Amino acid sequence: MNMFRQSLLFLLPMALLVAACNNDEENPTPTDDNEAITTATLTLTSQTTPVQTVTATVENLNTNADFSRATLTLRPNTTYTGVLSLLDKTKTPTLDVSAEVAEEANEHLVVYTFTPTTGSPASVTVTATDRDTNPAPGPYPIGLATQIRTGAAGSGKLKVVLRHQPNVKNGTPQPGSSDLDTDFSVTIQ
Amino acid sequence: MVSVLMGICTVSLAQAQTSCTAVLSGRILDQASHQPLPGATVYIRELGTGAVADTNGMFRVAAVCAGQYTIDYQFVSYQKLEQRITIGADTLTTLPTVQLAPDSRTLQEVVVTEYRSEAQQLLQVQTSLSGNALEATRGQSLGESLKTLPGLYTVQTGPSIAKPVIHGLYSNRIITLNNGIRQEDQQWGSEHAPQIDPFLASRITVIKGAASIRYGSDAIGGVILVEPRPMPVKPGFGAELNAVGGTNGRQGTLSGFVEQAFGGKLNGLSWRLQGTIKRVGYARTPNYYLDNSSYHETNGSGQLSYSRNLPSGSTVGTDLYYSLFTTKVGLFTGAQVGSLADFYAAIARPEPLRQPGFSYDLSRPYQQVQHELLKFRTFVRSDRWGMLTFTYARQQNIRREYDFLSFSRATDPELYLKLVSQTADLIWEQKPVKLANGGTLSGSAGFNGITQGNVRQFLFLIPNYRNYGAGLFAIERYANDRWTLEAGVRYDYRWLRAFFLNEQTSTVTNTTRQWQNGSGSVGATYQLNQRLSLAGNLSTAWRAPNVNDLYSNGLHQSAVAYERGNPNLRAEQAYNATFSLEYTGKRLYLDLGLYNNRIDNFIYLKPDSVPIVRQRGAFPAYTYTAVQATFRGVDATIRYKIVDRLTLTSKTSLLLAYARSTDPATRGAHEYLVYIPPNRTDNSLRYELKDANRFSSMYVSVSSQYVARQNRAPAVSQRQEGGQLIFTGDFAPPPPAYTLFGAEMGFTYRIGTQPLGVILTGTNLLNRAYRDYLDRFRYFTDEPGRAIWLKLRLPLAFGRS
Repeated sequence: MNMFRQSLLFLLPMALLVAACNNDEENPTPTDDNEAITTATLTLTSQTTPVQTVTATVENLNTNADFSRATLTLRPNTTYTGVLSLLDKTKTPTLDVSAEVAEEANEHLVVYTFTPTTGSPASVTVTATDRDTNPAPGPYPIGLATQIRTGAAGSGKLKVVLRHQPNVKNGTPQPGSSDLDTDFSVTIQ
Repeated sequence: MVSVLMGICTVSLAQAQTSCTAVLSGRILDQASHQPLPGATVYIRELGTGAVADTNGMFRVAAVCAGQYTIDYQFVSYQKLEQRITIGADTLTTLPTVQLAPDSRTLQEVVVTEYRSEAQQLLQVQTSLSGNALEATRGQSLGESLKTLPGLYTVQTGPSIAKPVIHGLYSNRIITLNNGIRQEDQQWGSEHAPQIDPFLASRITVIKGAASIRYGSDAIGGVILVEPRPMPVKPGFGAELNAVGGTNGRQGTLSGFVEQAFGGKLNGLSWRLQGTIKRVGYARTPNYYLDNSSYHETNGSGQLSYSRNLPSGSTVGTDLYYSLFTTKVGLFTGAQVGSLADFYAAIARPEPLRQPGFSYDLSRPYQQVQHELLKFRTFVRSDRWGMLTFTYARQQNIRREYDFLSFSRATDPELYLKLVSQTADLIWEQKPVKLANGGTLSGSAGFNGITQGNVRQFLFLIPNYRNYGAGLFAIERYANDRWTLEAGVRYDYRWLRAFFLNEQTSTVTNTTRQWQNGSGSVGATYQLNQRLSLAGNLSTAWRAPNVNDLYSNGLHQSAVAYERGNPNLRAEQAYNATFSLEYTGKRLYLDLGLYNNRIDNFIYLKPDSVPIVRQRGAFPAYTYTAVQATFRGVDATIRYKIVDRLTLTSKTSLLLAYARSTDPATRGAHEYLVYIPPNRTDNSLRYELKDANRFSSMYVSVSSQYVARQNRAPAVSQRQEGGQLIFTGDFAPPPPAYTLFGAEMGFTYRIGTQPLGVILTGTNLLNRAYRDYLDRFRYFTDEPGRAIWLKLRLPLAFGRS
């Protein structure tokens, strides 16, 4: 009798457990990143005639980056006007990240660093042509619009880093954290 | 005078050799409800020894000499009772049952008490925080409060997040029981602090070492029991108000409760409502404020209890309990880094770049967490069959983590995890049986069941999952004369199914894993003489891999790590041995605990693989890996009464932890693990003042805390492999040793009939800049500087006869 009562009390919690389940977990939702940058495109337009327009794009930056179209083929000793475009294609409609960055320009800085392939005489200098509205000692450069000047022929990598520097922007790359850090291959011929 | 004392000593020694075999036993009940008071203490003044009442209120003190004694009976929030007794030549003296009256007025002067638990029917090393020692930690988080106990540490993420660490183990290897319910609040993350309001506790007990038998598998490291004050039984209203203010962070906490017990026809019915609010601004290190380190907490709970005695002599009772814990915790912005390059740049900075002034502002990055608990408990206690308790609880933990936003105007969190846990427990506690040979048998057996469902949103770190767990256990103890022996067995089954979405095909797949295992424990205590007792315990425990160990796959932005699970991990298996020695002399008290915990398949995040490159740059990749680990250490407490009112207390915790190398070249060699607590010693001098006028329980104390440098840490190194930079060990070497000084004073001041408890505490009084090895923000910032705290406590009783 006692055994029976005990086993009944034993079954009660089990029954409660089974009854109390719901199955929300069986329908996972897709991954959603508030701040994904999937696509970075550099568009360079030569300031010489005939006008040369070069674009290079890195895709799927947020997962496994695709660098197959990320090479800039430039002419030596030429000055280009550069525009950096950043997109988040995981959102519908696609989010224009560079427009958002331009709007919050006072806390963003795009830093360009060219590193020639070992032994190559190639050189590229990048100068930001846009300015934020930070109060003095600002304004500081933003770097979405640039002037890019090539030197001798050769090859190398152009590193593009978007720095987020809320309240600490001072015109140098050091403060803040990186939102984007990627490389474009450069061939000067 | 000296010769008189010596004479007494000689007499008692002579008695010890001849007739000191008497066993004293008795029972402690609540005066009004006649319920047992587990945990109540019995103290024989002349012998300086005592015992703790078990779940039936029973206690025994072995090896007592014949003679006259004064006995003190005490329990938290009950009035102390004093009794004179005479022990004759009988071998067993059973004292009349003692009934303690509830008391909401006295400020307990009990300091940290350390005892071998009779209360939990476990012969395991325990340490607990109650009375004045607990009051002195008011306003701090659960983890921080426990740090004062030997063998306990915290792993921190800045000043606002502290996780308790027992003997070097934390997170899922520790079980926290909040009001008897296994707290399920996503403890797997190292920046996930336990969501428990410490004001709920009237006692916090820590079981050090594997304690799986009673509380479930997973408890490889230990168990933290947050025990609320007992429900009122004396008809009338009671209330208590607590206010805590702290200078660092300009923080304030208000907490209080109201309770009522009914009389007459409604006798046995009682209720309590409790709430806490806490607001903390930016913490200040000696040289700067920590940007966005503010946090707040809002908690509430309510309980309704009913119990009645049946004509048959049995008692039945039911409780309904609900609690809600909500917190919003800001994370120091100086620790926000986008990539490994940022991380190294931040480490290289001696001070954070941005050093704003003081503020209570709280913006991204922050965590918002809500923990809800609903508990239903019912019991039947019969004099013949013992006690049967059924408990059902539902917990819902919602965690939202908001990262720093750069360009989007998103209002969504980056991480959303909702964990719903349901537990059901059925426990039978045997009525103690007296055996013909004078021994006593007592024990308990039970069933624990759990199911959990987890739903994630936004970024992927761990998958959705469902799990089921069931456990059966039995513990039996035998006490005779100087010996107490205990043995327990347990069987557990675990089932885990994780759900994954293939985003290309929109199909859902799942993976199921199951584990089952048994665990066992044996323990013994031996009372060598009135002053010295020895205890030893051997136990095994296991822990099934958690969902994050198996299936993590994502960027843990706040940890600057890409974490990958290993779906093939096996369960952790622990073999735990503890030995302890307790000496209670007239002036000297010594408690020495030794432990060795070997854990096979110890799962940890190994930082040794090719970095992952994402949009923000390179991240070190970590993979959950299993090793054979050993945790070995010593906890020592020495208390010496220099003169009557002046006591020196020294608490030292030493720990050595290592893993055996699996590398074929160095197989078996010791490799150190990261985030292992360094050696530590806390020393304090406390002077108790005489009561005067309206002042009582006055004391002043000074303390120093020395924390050694952790020299047994993995080397900070990086190497080139296949053109990739691979990081091993840690990002920065352990910080140097430090010493902090503190002071405290406290007293009780009587306003009318109500006693106002006042405690004034100062920490890091020399305002020393230091970094702590166990703080994950040690790469970026110093620890908080000087802080002065004022803690007020006012218990109120009205309408009570």
